[in-house]
Amino acid sequence: MCKDVNEYLAKLKKELEGCDSALIQDALSDAEGHLRMALDEALSDKSSLSETEAIASIIEKYGHPKEIASAYRAIESRTSPALAVSRRKETRSFLARFFSVLAEPKAWGAFFYLILSFVTGIVFGGWVMTAGIISLGSLVFIIGLPIFGLFLLSIRGIALLEGRIVEALLGIRMPRRPLFHNRSLGWTDKYKALVTDAYSWRALLYAFLLFPLGLIYCGVFSLLLFFSLCFITSPVFELVFHIPLDLFGDNVFTPVWFLPVVCLAGFFLLPLTFHFAKFIGKVHGRFAKSMLVRK
Amino acid sequence: MIIKSNVVSNDQEVRNLAYTADANKKFQKELNSGTAALVLLSILARADEPMYGYRIAKFMEVDDENVPMMKQGALYPVLRSMEGSGLLESHVDPSVSGPPRRYYKITKSGLETLKSWTKIWSQTKAFVDGILKGKADV
Repeated sequence: MCKDVNEYLAKLKKELEGCDSALIQDALSDAEGHLRMALDEALSDKSSLSETEAIASIIEKYGHPKEIASAYRAIESRTSPALAVSRRKETRSFLARFFSVLAEPKAWGAFFYLILSFVTGIVFGGWVMTAGIISLGSLVFIIGLPIFGLFLLSIRGIALLEGRIVEALLGIRMPRRPLFHNRSLGWTDKYKALVTDAYSWRALLYAFLLFPLGLIYCGVFSLLLFFSLCFITSPVFELVFHIPLDLFGDNVFTPVWFLPVVCLAGFFLLPLTFHFAKFIGKVHGRFAKSMLVRK
Repeated sequence: MIIKSNVVSNDQEVRNLAYTADANKKFQKELNSGTAALVLLSILARADEPMYGYRIAKFMEVDDENVPMMKQGALYPVLRSMEGSGLLESHVDPSVSGPPRRYYKITKSGLETLKSWTKIWSQTKAFVDGILKGKADV
């Protein structure tokens, strides 16, 4: 029998061991929100009731940790994140698999994420640098403390938003609910919890790193896409419109016999770019998960 | 000897009762997993404004006090999954009195789904009722 909400949450976390960390965070967030609301209501309705007595009947209605963990497991196994594909035995030939990447929503999602990271990197990274410096600078005054707290809260908001983008485009399960602190804590304790929570700092580091990463991702993949399309369309541009590809120096046309090779190289480079985008998307998704999910 | 046989029959009775309780629980759970989404769609379709998980749970408690359909905690993953399927949409609003709340609202596709599921439910209910009341010939 659980004596308080924290004990319930600890048991629920134990029951969910082995599940996706984002699912655990969501389940704990749902439970904490519900139980605290119910507890507040029960204690204000019947002030003679002790917390232990109230929590027992609330848990009876909410469900014991084991039951709730199994409900989450059951639903999660039926709902896979957006763009996540089921694993099935691959029977197609190597070439078919190589080119079919262009029809894979997951590859397009990853590619779009990597291009978009240029914008998100500038916005999130820019916010970390400008607002971070201002809030750090203001710490020399007493007013700086709440400003710094608000800055850390904004970073949590960014982390949640980035998590939603990562889940939608990269198909990696990320938290779907914001984190919150126990309402019974005082302002000082809430502040302490915010500053000492490693999650806040990991999210801050992630938002900062997204700036250079976004530039690299967008630069590399824009160039790869540009070269693929240039190579593919080179015969049309050089022979029909008389615009040189400049492979061999300024304003030098590619020899006609070499154009099919260049065009073919483009046809291979395009799917290769998407395979690479899928791989980088997967690696980045894992990185985002390790940084933006509370341990 | 008579005492021993009484003990054995009591043990058997306890085992039967435990089996019946387990079977009832399992049956209720299976029914719930199929009907929870329909019930939630119906509640949210009737609601004048978006509702958050705790309110929905309290509403279900008032609506059916005698037979708790499912544990309140099991509603949350169902709500999430319905949102994932596009039947519901949600937004998070900060709350003055506690943690931020996720408000759910039925979508257009949710309303259409509710209409067709209600029809399926009525047919299933009529069929099962017919069998239970012995109207159909066996």
